[in-house]
Amino acid sequence: MREVIHGVVRDEDGRRVEAARVFFASGPVPLPDVAALTAADGTFQLTAPVPGRYSLMCVLDDGRSETRSIEVIRGGGALVEFEMPADR
Amino acid sequence: MTEYAETEDPHTSVASEPEELVKPIEEEGPSEDPSTGEAPDVEAGAGEVEEVEGLRSVEAVAAETAPDTSGLEDIGVASFGPTAEAILGRDDRIQIHNTSAYPWRVHSSLLITAADGSLWIGTGWFISPRTLITAGHCVFIKNSGVPGRDGWVRSIRVMPGRNGSTLPYGSATSTAFRSVTGWTSSGNHNYDYGAIILPTNLGSTVGWFGFGVYSDSQLVGSTVNISGYPGDKPAGTQWYHSNRVTAVTATKVYYVIDTMGGQSGSAVYQIRDGGRYAVAVHAYGGATANHGTRINREVFDNLSTWKA
Repeated sequence: MREVIHGVVRDEDGRRVEAARVFFASGPVPLPDVAALTAADGTFQLTAPVPGRYSLMCVLDDGRSETRSIEVIRGGGALVEFEMPADR
Repeated sequence: MTEYAETEDPHTSVASEPEELVKPIEEEGPSEDPSTGEAPDVEAGAGEVEEVEGLRSVEAVAAETAPDTSGLEDIGVASFGPTAEAILGRDDRIQIHNTSAYPWRVHSSLLITAADGSLWIGTGWFISPRTLITAGHCVFIKNSGVPGRDGWVRSIRVMPGRNGSTLPYGSATSTAFRSVTGWTSSGNHNYDYGAIILPTNLGSTVGWFGFGVYSDSQLVGSTVNISGYPGDKPAGTQWYHSNRVTAVTATKVYYVIDTMGGQSGSAVYQIRDGGRYAVAVHAYGGATANHGTRINREVFDNLSTWKA
C-alpha cells in the first residue's frame, strides 16, 4: 500500500519556494531516482512505496539544501516541511 | 489429519520470482551500434571508463567499498533496513563540463510534466535521431496515490548536453512516449523502461549510444558508466561515475555507482572497442547497490522497435 508524503518548502523568511528539488535520499526499499519540483505554492507530493523511515532532501537553485528524516505511517502517509536556511 | 483435494498437491513448488526473471542469460545477443552525430567535438572512447579528470579508478573505489560481512544482521531486517541509499559510501561523482562534446551530449536532462501538472526531473539518452530511452516511471506514473497524477505524463522537455542554464543544442518537447505493459499495467519494477519520441531529429546532431544484450558472465564484474542529471547537484549539471556490476538477474543490473533523484533513466553503459553500448536503464537507488532495467532480448527488441 503506497503512502503519500505531502510537503512544503519555505525560505528563511517563511515564503513558499517554487521549483525546489525534492527527492528521496534513503528509505527502507529501493526508490525511483526521480526528483519532484515544488509547485508555485511551494508544495510537493512524493509517493512512499511502503511505510517506514525515509530521508528526504531538498535542494534550491542557489545550492542551499536541507534533509529531513520522516516516518511514513501505514494509512497515514506523512507531512514534511522544509525551512531552508538563510543563504550564507 | 489434514486432507488434501486431489488437485491440491502440498508439494507443489512455488517461487518468489517467475521463472523468466531468474533464468540466467548465458549468451551474448544482438546489439545496435552508436553514432557520434553530426556535431563536431567527439571524445573517442578508450578503455572501460571515460577519460574524466578527477575520476577515481574503479579499483580504488572497489577497494574502499569492499563489504565487511562481520556485522551482518538477520535476514529479517532485509524488508525494512538497512536503508536504501543512492550514494554508496563516498560520493565519487564527477561533474562534466564539456557537455557539448560526444558522448556527454547524448545524455539529456528531462523536465517532465505529469498528468496532474506536477513537475519532475529525470535523464534520458538517444538511441536514434528522434528516440531517447529513459525509465518507465519517467514517462508513465504508476500507483502514485495522488489524484490525477497516474498515467502517461503530459509532456517532457528534452535538453541534450545541458550544462546548468546552457543548452548547447537547445531543447525539444515531446508528447509521444512508449513503455511496456509490465510497467504500465502492473507497475512491476522488472519492466521499468520507456522511450521518448521527439518531433525533431535532434539525435542526428548530438549522436546516440548503441545498446546490446550481453551474457551474465560478460556483465558481472565488468565496468559500467553512468552520466546524468542528479537533483542534489547545481541545477542542470551533468555528473558521471563508473564502477563494477555487482550482480545481475534476467531483468536487472546492479552496480555500486552513486546516483540521486534526477538520474532515473540514465544509460548504464560499457565502452566496447571505443563505442558506447548501453546494457541497462538506471531506475532505482538501493541499499548496497543501485540498479537498472537490464537490456535483455525482450527489452532490446522493444528499443529497436521504438527507434525513430
